[in-house]
Amino acid sequence: MNDDLLSVHGLGRRFGGVVAVADASFGVGRTSIVGLIGPNGAGKSTVLSMIAGSLRPTSGTISFDGRELSGTAPHTAARRGIIRTFQTPSEFARLTTLENLLAGARATRGFTVGGALLGRRWWRSDEDRLVERAIGLLRRFDMLPMANEYAGKLSSGQKRLLELMRALMAEPKLLLLDEPFAGVNPTLSRRIEGYLARLCAEDGITMLMVEHEMGAIERICHSVVVMAQGRVISRGTMAEIRGDKKVLDAYLIG
Amino acid sequence: MSEAWQFYISTLLVYLGVNVMACWGLNLQFGVAGLLNFAFIIFQAIGAYAAALVTLGPHDPDSYQDYIFGAHLPFPLPILAGAVAGGLLALFVGVIALRRLRSDYQAVVMLVVSLIAASIATNAVGLFNGAPGLSLIPKPLASTLDVSLVGYQWFYVGLVAVCCLIVFVITKRIQSSPFGRSLRALRDNPDAIAALGGNVGTLRIRAFVIGGAIAGASGALLAGFIGAWSPASWDYRETFVLFTAILVGGTGNMLGAALGALLVPIAFLEASRFIPSFGRPGLVEALQWVVIGGVTLLFLWFWPRGLLPERKRTYTVPEG
Repeated sequence: MNDDLLSVHGLGRRFGGVVAVADASFGVGRTSIVGLIGPNGAGKSTVLSMIAGSLRPTSGTISFDGRELSGTAPHTAARRGIIRTFQTPSEFARLTTLENLLAGARATRGFTVGGALLGRRWWRSDEDRLVERAIGLLRRFDMLPMANEYAGKLSSGQKRLLELMRALMAEPKLLLLDEPFAGVNPTLSRRIEGYLARLCAEDGITMLMVEHEMGAIERICHSVVVMAQGRVISRGTMAEIRGDKKVLDAYLIG
Repeated sequence: MSEAWQFYISTLLVYLGVNVMACWGLNLQFGVAGLLNFAFIIFQAIGAYAAALVTLGPHDPDSYQDYIFGAHLPFPLPILAGAVAGGLLALFVGVIALRRLRSDYQAVVMLVVSLIAASIATNAVGLFNGAPGLSLIPKPLASTLDVSLVGYQWFYVGLVAVCCLIVFVITKRIQSSPFGRSLRALRDNPDAIAALGGNVGTLRIRAFVIGGAIAGASGALLAGFIGAWSPASWDYRETFVLFTAILVGGTGNMLGAALGALLVPIAFLEASRFIPSFGRPGLVEALQWVVIGGVTLLFLWFWPRGLLPERKRTYTVPEG
């Protein structure tokens, strides 16, 4: 348990009088894909937002890679290696696909005001390396033909892929995926599943994903955490939780 | 060309240059970084006041004008002082208003900041001589250069051109750098850039301060040219003339912003001077604002990307 990449303990979040998350505790082991499931309003996205730093928990702690993380800003969480994707398409619409990927990378010479003022010659070689990496990702995800298209013009499935590639440019240790298959056609969904499984197996990237599509969860997640009404009600493999009466009740009764 | 014409043309060129600089500064803030700075004109104003204060000399209690500080700094330090003042004010306003607020709220706050600034400058007489403003501001190098009135005009055109060139290089380098790309990403989706490790607050503030410094330098040039500066020179509505200019020319495109500066503050406002006055006194002037507002709406509806849209930055990508 202590060797988990991410561990969340007693996490809670209230919005005024509404308790969105009452008490969530779970861990995400290194190099695993964990599904966070539960009926609507269970507090899954809220938990994801708290881990990503965009919402401050009202109680509980989050520790990542052995260090306390609770209440940090989104960019701080990102710089530590937690990169999230969003439930709704969130491409940089007026940047091209390739530029979207480049914007995901961090800290090279041209990313500061001073570096920018020194001109292209100062940052060119760093930039070339980033472009090379981005092209490698585009090729791996079969998106190379879209490299110079405005991201706003991509289909919703392609935007999902774009977000995933952009997240990878930021060199994540933990990917937080908020419904990565929402609005994606079944064929592309299967492709994305394949990519995610390989990213974990080959690149050693850990993932925590909120998803409603049980088939996908079953195929790629090593374990699942089930939430209902702001609480974690069950944990285990898909086969284990399938027989859990609490889970069935949560889904059927709400 | 007769002296009168030379005088007229050179004056227009100075105004054009100052407006081009201002439009580039505003374009960096709004067109590139997506900041709705409805207070842009106050950064030009503070630059003008700062330049005036450091050229007017120490305040003389018997003088007809009242102001704080006061020094005699040689050229080109007053222009730099204008840029520094614009940048510092932008830092101050930015730290308060930009770190947390969403863009629509930023717009409201900026408009209010603009009104507060005008109110302070008008009522705190001891700062910049209140409503009458500062006058008899010595012109840069006027006493050193031994030239005719028209000759000085052309010297000033050259000075403004050099400043435009410097601002061009600075803004161009920023916009084409990875930093500029982060600003455009910030404009398109602040939450996403934050989720990728970009610090939204400092990105915004950096764009805001650079734009503010450019505005300040443009104000310093304006004050040095006119020789006077008062709250009437920087009515909050002037900001919207510049916004209209970059919307017409094309946001996110430097040539577009410059074209807008030529078309709106210079060509349009100058052309309306030649309309024979009709109706009540002040009617033509009031109608100008109506037209400016109308043009803004037309462009937002029909050509939201302007005459010269932001260009696509493509890369050579290997086949397959």
